Amino acid sequence: MQRRTLMATALAALAAAGAVTAAQAQTLVMWGPEQITEPLVAELWNGIKADFEAANPGVTVEFMPPTGNISDGAVQAAIQSNAGPDVMLTNSGVARVSTVVNAALVAPLTAAYAERGWDQQIYPWLYEELKSQRGGEIYEVPDGLDALGIWYHKDMFAENQWQIPGTYADFLTLMGQMKEKGINPIAIGPRTAGSAGHLFGNILQASSGTPVVGEALDGKLDWTDPSIALGAVRLRELVDAGYIDKEMAALDLDGAARLWFNKRAAMFVAGPWFTANARNAGYDLTNAGFAAMPSDIGAAMPTGGVGWSWMIPANSKQPELAMKWIDFILSQDVMKRRAENPASTMLYPRAIKDYNPPTQILAEIFSTASGGVGYNPSVYLPAGVVDTYFQVIQGLISAQITGEEGMAQIQAKMAEAQ
Amino acid sequence: MTSLPTIAKDTDGPSARVSRRGTPGGAAGQDGLRSALPLMLPALAIYAVFTLAPIALTLWLSFTDSRGLNTSASFVGLDNYARAGFDPIVWQSLGHTFLWLLYHLALAVGMGLGLALAIGRLKKTHVFFRTAFFLPHLVSLAVVGVIWANIYDPFYGLLNTALEHVGLGRWTQGWLSDPLLVLFSVNVASSWQGFGLYMLLFIAGLQNIDHSLYEAADIDGATAFQKLIYVTLPGLSEVMTFVVSLALINGLKGFATVFVMTDGGPFYQSELITTYIYRLAFSAQDHGLAAVLCILLSALAITITIVFNRWRARLSR
Repeated sequence: MQRRTLMATALAALAAAGAVTAAQAQTLVMWGPEQITEPLVAELWNGIKADFEAANPGVTVEFMPPTGNISDGAVQAAIQSNAGPDVMLTNSGVARVSTVVNAALVAPLTAAYAERGWDQQIYPWLYEELKSQRGGEIYEVPDGLDALGIWYHKDMFAENQWQIPGTYADFLTLMGQMKEKGINPIAIGPRTAGSAGHLFGNILQASSGTPVVGEALDGKLDWTDPSIALGAVRLRELVDAGYIDKEMAALDLDGAARLWFNKRAAMFVAGPWFTANARNAGYDLTNAGFAAMPSDIGAAMPTGGVGWSWMIPANSKQPELAMKWIDFILSQDVMKRRAENPASTMLYPRAIKDYNPPTQILAEIFSTASGGVGYNPSVYLPAGVVDTYFQVIQGLISAQITGEEGMAQIQAKMAEAQ
Repeated sequence: MTSLPTIAKDTDGPSARVSRRGTPGGAAGQDGLRSALPLMLPALAIYAVFTLAPIALTLWLSFTDSRGLNTSASFVGLDNYARAGFDPIVWQSLGHTFLWLLYHLALAVGMGLGLALAIGRLKKTHVFFRTAFFLPHLVSLAVVGVIWANIYDPFYGLLNTALEHVGLGRWTQGWLSDPLLVLFSVNVASSWQGFGLYMLLFIAGLQNIDHSLYEAADIDGATAFQKLIYVTLPGLSEVMTFVVSLALINGLKGFATVFVMTDGGPFYQSELITTYIYRLAFSAQDHGLAAVLCILLSALAITITIVFNRWRARLSR
């Protein structure tokens, strides 16, 4: 009898232990990052994952390689499948985030900001900007900021004694010299929506200045107003002058980047993330230079905004664990480790103490962006307008519409959205 | 005297026998249905879940302002239908879809028929050619899109480079950037992937044509062209109906190559109804309008197939 009791007690203890282990075993499915298949990136993230798992016994982090982003609907499809991620890192910005917020696909994080101190871990201006967007409700935690400007080949510029000038008129002259040399002045791949927006955003910034672009984005200024429409007119002029080959309308980001890496194009508009493309293409990053597009209105500055954010899907099976993951990502150790890693491709959401950029080009981008960044409309336009915005850029580059016609289409969509 | 059940009660003639044994209304028929029902249930359940329910959901969505997961969709009546009517992109993509359909018929079906006629009666090399021409059909459309996008690349693409190398540089084009060419260029890629299946079906049809007809034509002194017109094509009539019906449906479903190669651009010049539905449903989360276009596409597919088959039936009578 005693033996039977002992056996039963032992079995019960074993079962209880098993139950506890099973209860503690948790899997956090994470969407991102985009370049997870790249060895350098994979090494960094596998290290972060291992440290998180070590700090949280029983937790396994499972990477879910992204099949796309919010712009192409891949994020929405993944969440709606109900077999999607528990936490995700994806391209963000007001328009993209609005798309998933309006569809109730992501959870609000405002309370978590206050409770977990996230509001203290990003730039104060960034926190204020996030609070101002949706009546105070925040749905994202910025992971990286973008700074979009002109990438150029230092050796090509040195050989031809070219330099990025101070005025737009001189910039046109420079492009003329490049064309005479048989080199495409600017490569662009508008089939990739973002890439189209990077160039056009820079031209708008250079033509109209930050305040005017901001007013147009807020709907306070009609997009057909000449003060903002000038950018579209100028883009079409670049196409008509042959400074942007209209056949580039068929290229995507990779196709356009290939032109630049092979030096068939002199300039390319991109952000710090382009270092990953360059590395993959075997391009010598020490030869890459970065500058803001010359402007006649105010100081030349790159465009940008929140480029990547963490979000928690509304149907996340591990919302609490997802927040723990974000706590971990925002920690000083992880952020500095990521920023100084050779795989680093962005500006971080807060100043990092004793930070040394891992590449010269990143140092140049940080320096250029130190005076602030202008708007990249791709991420600030309302969700219902963005697609038209990208199509208009395609229409301008393929010379199907004039600048005024293009801006009229954007304005019509803005009016609908408002 | 037209109602079989009435006759069945009053007579012992053939109709009554048919009714009792074979019609659903008869006792035997009802017994048969009762015993068949449990066997049919799994298939019916699968059909209901995967076909009928999505159709019903799409219909319901088309009357709502649904924007995605977990949102309470409100009934908006015919608003989405009105929006579709006033959306110029809908009309543009509809026109492109018809053009796409015509290109698919001409290129995929045309190539399938042409190659079937060319290799259908080969004796020693037929296995090689059939396999070689069928191979593209085994490649996924997305992969085909990537391959052809590279072929068409205006700066590094095989096509323009080849044209330049053979002295035809003035024929180089922006195959995917020219608004007038883009839809045709993408369709070539799509048809390249699709023609293999049609070719095999035509070859099967060719093998069913009585060889004695060709012998008779030879004796009558018919030329190769006359044999094609008066023997081969009439002999392929049934297969042609099937292939064209299949091609019509496949053409209306065109999506993957456009999505991969142009994403509907530049400036909507290759936008099809299907790509626009995807954009609305998954990028803009405008499920209501996307559902309306799904219904429109289904109605188009059904109408075109019925009209074509009736026309063929009338023609064959």
